[in-house]
Amino acid sequence: MNASAISLPHDHSGHGHDGGHGDDGHHAGHVHLQYQPGLPLSRGKLIMWLFLSTEIMFFAALLGSYVVLRFGAAVWPKPHHVHLSEPIGAFNTFVLICSSVTIVLALEAARVNKTGLAKAWMVLTFVLGTLFLGVKAYEYQAKFSHGIYPWAPRGRIHERPDLYYGSAVRARLGEAAMIERLQQLDERPAESLSPEEASARTRLQQVRKMVANPDQQAFDLAVVADQVMPLPAEGASHGAGHGGSGHGLNDTFPWLKLPIVIPGGSMWASTYFLLTGFHAIHVIVGLIVFAVLLGLRLDAKRSGMIENAGLYWHFVDLVWIFLFPLLYLF
Amino acid sequence: MSIAPSPLATEHASKAPQESHGLTLSQFLSTYVFSKDHKVIGIQFLFSTLVWFLVGGLLALAVRWQVAWPWSDVPVLGKLFAQEGGQMSPEFYTMLFTMHATVMIFLVIIPILAGAFGNFLIPLMIGADDMAFPTLNMLSYWFMWPAFIAFGASFFVEGGAASGGWTSYPPLSTNVAASPGSGWGQTLWLVGLTFVGVSSMLGSVNYMTTIILMRAPGMTMFRLPMTIWAMFITAVLQAFALPVLTAAGFMQLADRTLGTGFFSPEGLIVNNATPGAGGGQPLLWQHLFWFYSHPAVYIMILPAMGMVSDILTCFARKPLFGYRPMVYSIAGIAGLGFIVWGHHMFMSGMNPALGITFMVSTMMIALPSAVKTFNWLGTVWGGRIHFTTAMLFALAFVSMFIIGGLSGIFMAATPVDIFIHDTYFIVAHFHYVLFAGTAMGVWAGIYYWFPKMFGRTMNEFWGKVHFFLTFIFMNGTFFTMHILGAVGFPRRLADAYHYETFHHLQPMNAFMTWCAIGMVATQAIFAANFFWSMFRGPIAGRNPWNANTLEWTAPSPPGHGNFDFQPVVHRGPYEYSVPGADKDHLMQTDPPNAAAAAAALVAH
Amino acid sequence: MNRRIWGMAWAILFLAVPVLGVATFAVAPAINVWLPKDVSIHGRDIDSLFYFILALTGVVFIATEMVLFWFLWKYDAAAGERRATYIHGSHTLEVVWTIIPAATLLFLAIYQMNAWADVKMRRPDMPPTVEVVARQFEWRLRYPGRDGVLGTQDDLHLVNDLQLPVDEDILVQLKSMDVLHSFFLPNLRIKQDAVPGMRIPVWFKSTETGSYDIVCAELCGWGHYKMKGRITFVPRSEFDRWLERKYAEQEATRPAGDASGNLAAR
Ligand code: HEA
Ligand code: HEA
Ligand code: CUA
Ligand SMILES: [Cu+2]
Repeated sequence: MNASAISLPHDHSGHGHDGGHGDDGHHAGHVHLQYQPGLPLSRGKLIMWLFLSTEIMFFAALLGSYVVLRFGAAVWPKPHHVHLSEPIGAFNTFVLICSSVTIVLALEAARVNKTGLAKAWMVLTFVLGTLFLGVKAYEYQAKFSHGIYPWAPRGRIHERPDLYYGSAVRARLGEAAMIERLQQLDERPAESLSPEEASARTRLQQVRKMVANPDQQAFDLAVVADQVMPLPAEGASHGAGHGGSGHGLNDTFPWLKLPIVIPGGSMWASTYFLLTGFHAIHVIVGLIVFAVLLGLRLDAKRSGMIENAGLYWHFVDLVWIFLFPLLYLF
Repeated sequence: MSIAPSPLATEHASKAPQESHGLTLSQFLSTYVFSKDHKVIGIQFLFSTLVWFLVGGLLALAVRWQVAWPWSDVPVLGKLFAQEGGQMSPEFYTMLFTMHATVMIFLVIIPILAGAFGNFLIPLMIGADDMAFPTLNMLSYWFMWPAFIAFGASFFVEGGAASGGWTSYPPLSTNVAASPGSGWGQTLWLVGLTFVGVSSMLGSVNYMTTIILMRAPGMTMFRLPMTIWAMFITAVLQAFALPVLTAAGFMQLADRTLGTGFFSPEGLIVNNATPGAGGGQPLLWQHLFWFYSHPAVYIMILPAMGMVSDILTCFARKPLFGYRPMVYSIAGIAGLGFIVWGHHMFMSGMNPALGITFMVSTMMIALPSAVKTFNWLGTVWGGRIHFTTAMLFALAFVSMFIIGGLSGIFMAATPVDIFIHDTYFIVAHFHYVLFAGTAMGVWAGIYYWFPKMFGRTMNEFWGKVHFFLTFIFMNGTFFTMHILGAVGFPRRLADAYHYETFHHLQPMNAFMTWCAIGMVATQAIFAANFFWSMFRGPIAGRNPWNANTLEWTAPSPPGHGNFDFQPVVHRGPYEYSVPGADKDHLMQTDPPNAAAAAAALVAH
Repeated sequence: MNRRIWGMAWAILFLAVPVLGVATFAVAPAINVWLPKDVSIHGRDIDSLFYFILALTGVVFIATEMVLFWFLWKYDAAAGERRATYIHGSHTLEVVWTIIPAATLLFLAIYQMNAWADVKMRRPDMPPTVEVVARQFEWRLRYPGRDGVLGTQDDLHLVNDLQLPVDEDILVQLKSMDVLHSFFLPNLRIKQDAVPGMRIPVWFKSTETGSYDIVCAELCGWGHYKMKGRITFVPRSEFDRWLERKYAEQEATRPAGDASGNLAAR
């Protein structure tokens, strides 16, 4: 641009805007301005990177809090105490990594205008993301069915087998519907029960006797807790179900829903749902973006959009790469 | 339109031909309400924050009333909020200062600096036609509304608004039982905070992108005016610090509503009841909160520092003294700002050895501030000073920031902080930096850029009256607080006079309250001047102050797209009084001529 | 001319800042609105540090504000027809005014560490003299009793009335039952937050007998303002007698059927 060709109207004064837009009125539309960009990036890409750095700080705060809370806690449950299954977690990690690959492939295809192929990879990415959420939902369901909620009224977690625990178990066993159900169980002929159920029934009867007495000793309550949901010993192989051992009373009779004892369990649940929950929200946002993209023609013109969506998706993937070992392995 | 032209009408004017003056509803909405034009958004921010400024000021008056004359009937307000026969309850007092600080910080200072001035000035001063993402920009304003509504509504819910202090320390803030009757107030507070956070986040990434990618040809980073540098680094601070508070806010929200225990330890007995889940750590919140809120205090002053630098140079008719050191010191403040948060926690039970490291880093953060202060003095030195209202406010900023900064040194000294922590010494400190500092910078900015915003200048005489009275009353209110602090007078006390140590301080507090009343009353002058000048002030023209930066080359107010020519930048923003040049200012767009070129050679 | 007078007036307004500022600090001690009497051993260090910083910042304050005033006075545009100096800065000056404050502040940082360590890090090696448990809105005190061990049957429980022997090292074990509070002893230059879930040691030594305020300095709810206690220092012998008397009172008022009473009787 030739500098001398530029008009410098700054010495006008008194023109302001009286008389409509007086001196500026002769412009049809406004000047198309030129810029001197400081980085060789498109606006979309730059803002996406900047946005992701705010996201990094967000998750850094959550992860930092997790680390502080975990190492400040007196006890912290082992993954198996809380029914976490490494294989399921690892599978989900794999799913997410695959989706990071497919979104790159979608971008590659779009760049060379293979719109059909791009769409196919995009659909696959979407499916993989949904699969991840599905697995996550299954895992959440497993927690819920074991009474592990992050919050108090619905959660059945107790930190230790103390008097509060005793009275919670007694309260649960004393509910009207429960009394009826227990009676039915007692009355069932032994032949109609599997050997496991039969043994569980005997143990349940003992437990009921133990908690019936309000002057419980902590020792007895520890036994009760162990019957309701035994915590696998260090290194012991874990049985069926969702990584937990499958022979607690709550496992044999899922309708029992007796309070359980997991030392450090409520804080564990709080942090687990906090971290995975915010991650899942980010996955959902990603899926919405993909859904929008699927409605468009994925050609080279859209490659910028796809690239940004991909950047975001890689970030979501990366967060999970941190979450998986922190939550499942250590 | 020719009688009392609406200052924002330019967009409409450039689009619509002369004959159709009536706006359709949708035109009106898209021009004034859901506008994507950065100038309109900036002015929307300005009006909203000024209204909240008034609210925050009235809340401050109510605070002052109780501190001066505890348990006496409150005039006017007492009838509105009739507690026990017009007299404040201690709960109400707690709510007052909590919401005073919340409103002032989250709804006034932060959005007025970044939202109003940032929005209005960034594209204009770098030579862009708008922000990089206008829709996002519009959203950043509209995300303030849920916050306005949440904070505003919280005054009317049962139990009143939040009352855990603006720092909202748990377990007081997470345990509903700890402050009986406080159900929704605190929850709404957290919701409001989250929306403010989202708004700032949307704004800050947009600002950074705009400044990096949309500078006019020739506008290198080191030719940017200080305002833009300050806005840029503030945006960086916001982008990196704010998400931490948002995360912490969600955790506190979960603690309150879901019953998690992130910030509550095991075995609390609150109000004779044992609340649910525990196992958390109260100090964790403080770390997260101050990790944001310390950088936030710089978010609340850096843009003002930038604006003041521009105004000082303009009215001293002198180049900024030490441009690069000024830029580096802003960056230094921002960088160090991330590692000093622990100075708010010296007494919190945090490891005292950690306190020492925070003390050292806090001492160091005074260095870049020192560089800035001395460079401002250097800028005034040898100038040709014009005492306009904007200049007076800018000078007041420098003078008052020195006081506020120096009192920071007392508190940074850990042993001294033992005594003055949570006393009025702290209150004096942060009102000197925030009100006597930033608010002076804001007023300087309003008086200075008003012509660009509305095409008319504000009345100088009444501006000076406003300045004089504000300056006097402000020092009367806040300087004496240092002395209160030296006696150990604790902050956040509804009534401290029943303590033997403090009962003789009431007359002093009464004096401060009279000054505060005077200060708030003075603002009527400002409000009148502001609105009168908007419609009746003298027409300003493009460059009423003979300043150098790009915004003054655009029409006042600039039309849609800002510039009616392609700006090309030839020099830095502060080429005032260049020897040999015929005018005492060389605009950034003025084509280079022989004399100016020679001068530039001498300078570099 | 008229404009020149206005310029002078504005300059003088800015001159009023350091003048009145210094005056305020000079008058305040004279009218007894100043640091409260200090009766502790370590308080002297804190106060002298306060005065040291006051002097240091005072000098910086007066110097910078005077310079500002002088520039405003001298370089007023109305003061004469001259052009502003065209100068972009000075490398030497930048270095000077970075190095000098840096050295000053670094010195200050190192100089104060000892006082901090005395109050917060060099904990005396002794069992707690008393346990202070803060709760909404009172200070619960627990003395270890004759055996000198907290948590045994002969503990003495009191509220808000903290009596301690003078001229002796005191170690307080500070706890909170509910929310944050802060244990503030203005006359002993002591402040420490009480944090639920933590047990924080606080130590001091008084050189004078007398009775002083205990202030709660951390917002703890609506009754924060009235969470007041008293700390009283008495000679050792008197302190021992006081303990005996209080313990006797406690025993006398203990309900007979009380479970802990039963245990105590055993
Ligand atoms: C805009 C806001 C702002 C700014 C800029 C600052 C700036 C500083 N602040 Fe402040 N601060 C707050 C807002 C701010 N603060 C708020 C709101 C609180 C209270 C929060 C609450 O609890 O509610 C607070 C509280 C606070 C505390 C906690 C006190 C306590 O609770 O016990 C501390 C402690 O170190 C501190 C220190 C400092 C320091 C060292 C600076 C430095 O950056 C200042 C540096 C500037 C100078 C020093 C002056 C200029 C320099 C010279 C003239 C050079 C020569 C100087 C020397 C050689 C000494 N501040
Ligand atoms: C930016 C921040 C800011 C600002 C500007 C102010 C301004 C004021 N503050 Fe505040 N204050 C805080 C931030 C701020 N404060 C914080 C963070 C706290 C700590 C809270 C806590 O402990 O949790 C606090 C606490 C606090 C206390 C201590 C309460 C206590 O601890 O018990 C006191 C007491 O005097 C006080 C007083 C005042 C006064 C008199 C003003 C005056 O300066 C107010 C003057 C107001 C005006 C002058 C209004 C002007 C109005 C306009 C300009 C509108 C014009 C309108 C149009 C044009 C439409 N404040
Ligand atoms: Cu206890 Cu404030
Ligand atoms: Cu700070």
